[in-house]
Amino acid sequence: MPEPSARTQLLRATLGNVPGLGDLSSDAVDSIVLAAEEGETEDGQLVYGGTEIVTHLYVVRAGRVRLERAGSAAERTRWAGSGETFGWHTLTGIRGERATSDGATTLLRIPERALLQALASAPLRREQLRASVGGRAGAIGARAKTSSEAQWFRSPAPYRRLLGYALFFGGWYLTVEAWALPHFDRLPGITEVVHEWLSKDPTFGLSVYTPEYYAHIGSSLRRVGIAFSLATALGVPVGLALGSSTTFREYVFPVFELLRPVPIPAWIPLAILVFSGAEAPIVFLTFLASFFATALNTFLGVRSIDPKYVLAARCLGASPWQVFRHIVVPGALPFVLTGLQISVGVAWFSIAAAEMCSGQLGLGYVINTSYTEVKFPTIVIGMLTLGILGFATSALVRLVGERLVVWRARELSMERP
Amino acid sequence: MVNSAVAGVAESGARPRSTIGILRLPRAQRRALVSYLAALLVWQLGSTSGRWLGVELPLLGRIPAPSDVLGAWSHLIVDPGYWQSWLASSKRVAAGFTAAVLTGVPLGLIMALSPPVWDVVFPVFELLRPIPPLAWVPAAIIFWPTQELSIDAVIFIGAFFTLVLNAVSGARSIDPRLIQVARSMGASRANILTRLVLPAVLPSVVVGMEVSIGITWEVVVAAEMISGGGSSRGASSGGGLGFFIWNSYVGGSYPQIIVGMISIGIAGYLSSAALRVVAARLSRWNAPYGGRA
Amino acid sequence: MTSGAIAWRPAGTQRAAAPVLPRSARADALPRRRGAIRIADAVKYYGTGESRVLAVDHCSLDIAAGEVFVVIGPSGCGKTTLLNALAGFHSLDAGSIHLDGELLCGPGREKAPIGADRIVVFQNGALFPWKTVLENVAFGPAMRGTIPRTELLERARRRLAEAGLQGYEESYPGETSSGVKRRVEIVRALMNDPAVLLLDEPFRALDALTKAMMHEALIASYLRTGSTVFFITHDIEEAVFLGSRVAIMTSRPCRPKKILSIDIPYPRGRETVTSRRFRELVAEAMAAVHEEALKAYALGEKEG
Repeated sequence: MPEPSARTQLLRATLGNVPGLGDLSSDAVDSIVLAAEEGETEDGQLVYGGTEIVTHLYVVRAGRVRLERAGSAAERTRWAGSGETFGWHTLTGIRGERATSDGATTLLRIPERALLQALASAPLRREQLRASVGGRAGAIGARAKTSSEAQWFRSPAPYRRLLGYALFFGGWYLTVEAWALPHFDRLPGITEVVHEWLSKDPTFGLSVYTPEYYAHIGSSLRRVGIAFSLATALGVPVGLALGSSTTFREYVFPVFELLRPVPIPAWIPLAILVFSGAEAPIVFLTFLASFFATALNTFLGVRSIDPKYVLAARCLGASPWQVFRHIVVPGALPFVLTGLQISVGVAWFSIAAAEMCSGQLGLGYVINTSYTEVKFPTIVIGMLTLGILGFATSALVRLVGERLVVWRARELSMERP
Repeated sequence: MVNSAVAGVAESGARPRSTIGILRLPRAQRRALVSYLAALLVWQLGSTSGRWLGVELPLLGRIPAPSDVLGAWSHLIVDPGYWQSWLASSKRVAAGFTAAVLTGVPLGLIMALSPPVWDVVFPVFELLRPIPPLAWVPAAIIFWPTQELSIDAVIFIGAFFTLVLNAVSGARSIDPRLIQVARSMGASRANILTRLVLPAVLPSVVVGMEVSIGITWEVVVAAEMISGGGSSRGASSGGGLGFFIWNSYVGGSYPQIIVGMISIGIAGYLSSAALRVVAARLSRWNAPYGGRA
Repeated sequence: MTSGAIAWRPAGTQRAAAPVLPRSARADALPRRRGAIRIADAVKYYGTGESRVLAVDHCSLDIAAGEVFVVIGPSGCGKTTLLNALAGFHSLDAGSIHLDGELLCGPGREKAPIGADRIVVFQNGALFPWKTVLENVAFGPAMRGTIPRTELLERARRRLAEAGLQGYEESYPGETSSGVKRRVEIVRALMNDPAVLLLDEPFRALDALTKAMMHEALIASYLRTGSTVFFITHDIEEAVFLGSRVAIMTSRPCRPKKILSIDIPYPRGRETVTSRRFRELVAEAMAAVHEEALKAYALGEKEG
């Protein structure tokens, strides 16, 4: 490829020195270069006065520009020398700035539109994004795991994490037991809870050593399991159909959207009325919540597939059914899995509600009865157990999902741009 | 890009095909109408099956019939107690949700922009988040002096976690290069906050709010059912639509259950709509630089 | 150098000069000659009512079978519209397109059928991320059932090896570099022996070194299969390097401003780039493009 003109090279070098624009791809830089204008000024010439709102980014090619800002707490004069930038008030929020050239200068002027386009067309790598927003430009956080959550959140530094836990548990201990603050003193203290949870002969009947504890866990777990499986088996196909077939969507989605906003707890009395026995209503309610979440997310997943994949497949000769099987289903899978994680969370939420209102077994029931029977530490045991189960099942779904969507995991773990 | 504008998902056409009344609607609306009517018909026939078929259909047969529901509603509309339930629930929703927004969004921003705060707070946050909001109800009742406050507290917890996560996600979507450029040109911290950070965060916060308000209604209804009617504690506080539903069940007025359910659905829809209006207002004076275009 | 735009006359009148097809020892061995495209008086509007924009205005092009026809012009001038109409993604508001004498789209047929005779290589790549490289490459014939499976995989492996991509068969696209991805996509398209290969700025996002490799790879593939190539780019040197003819389009509305015949024989290599003829042609093209680019920029065009 022939050498770019000297002018272009110089412009590129200048732009490379602007903090933030140095790592742009050559195409992005080229588009900025195309939009840039150059100008020469004489000594003392006004570049812009105090009343304009400047939307261009100015870069000093050669010379020096004096920038004055009246009206701020300290009347500030600063200077922009070779390779430095000024202007772009719509970005910086500076108002009433006045720029005059000090000696003859050569300036570059770039409209913000070109800059924003160039930035938008050169997406950053994830680590840079994380590190920069955290204020430590260039620092790379802990190596990202392949899970989608870790992609956003790097593992917190261990000391601070311990500090966080210490503050929380310490605070719990102090407010409830050591200082016995009003209101707080009615709550079960952390030592009480831990003692009860781990004792071989718990005062209130529930600990890791009692079989009843596991009976309740098993009961809740079983209900969630059945409901979640049913919801997935029904929700995924419905979601896929909603996303791929306009006819199906236009007939079914209106009724779907009519029922979805009704909060699950509002269904409880109706469920008890319609379904006989104690198990069926609870499973139904949990199923309902999961179903809506799964179907909706699957639907959105199909919708989010970049149409270019569909077009490419059709260009290559695929029939509509083949497009569905080879493009829609695999393409929606990552979203379906996110939906399943949400679905599990929603399932636990619903089951807590359902079990608290009815039922004879299960952790929600435990929490409710512990309250009425004044067994306060058991309440906390129930809450924490629910939390752990919720977290564990969600993690399980995520792990299974990552296995199924191997290509996504591999893609995410790639550090290449 | 034109390529991506060429979508295979063509939306329904808006061309009317005949001059006869209903058929003048666009196809999508017509089909929706057909669906509603069909569903209504199935419901009416199924629920009244005991009467006209002689044999009660399983499941469907036990649901109160639409005709009865309508009858119940016509009585309730003129009953002030019904509207007081609306008010009670709405007040709780407003209180808990507002508190969650005012604490959650700033916390989310601080967590996203400051690594030390993130490192300390996030682990505890993730520890508490999986606990279903309703599981907090007894603890809240024990702790807070009045039942009203305890319900508000549970609602707050329900909305809080989602709002924080969405604020964090919004803050992280800002292109840090713009922050670098602005900083190097002398923009003050305050300016960066108001001109870059807040506009970029707004869309995510709005999404978070829309999701949280849904959760909020779920929690309100459940909390009202549990504390007002479900447990054996006296029905001293109560009111609210959740309590209304539970009471109708206990009292045997089954069609009222459905009225309550529909009312809550409407209330939820209205609050989402109100949120969207507020969001639109806020976005209008925003000149976003930070978020993804 | 002409300073004004060349006024393009409506279809039916003679073209200024006959196309110069690439001449080289290998060119005569091109497998077959099909894929002659005739665009006549194409008109396309975007938007409706008041804010309607004329994107393509009575554009006519005659593309010979087996030639590499490069379309170049300022961003947003409607070049992609022509490609989309050819591929069947969009319709035309007026005018017609014929392929080998048969009507693709035009009066009586709103949109061309999407099919494996005109395969598109998309700007940002459309390799299916959830299929391995081998599965991607074999996708077309596998879907159409034209070749039995074992033979298909054999052939796919061979084509990949010919393109210098062996070892990547079991990788997923997300794990490979953009240069590899682009080459795989071209192999995937050519596996189907299309009459026309449509490329919409496929190498735009690549760095200069990779781009150079892509050009040589594309030429090599082209010489093997002889498909007509319809290539859109904004890179002048790329256009002159690749094309047998280069059409410089006006800024919106889109119409051919000038068509250059590139009379440099294939295969073209690195030494072509520094040859005098190449430089002359680039200079000619640059002058024409620059005029239009200034016009487009004054109108505030967005990337299109």
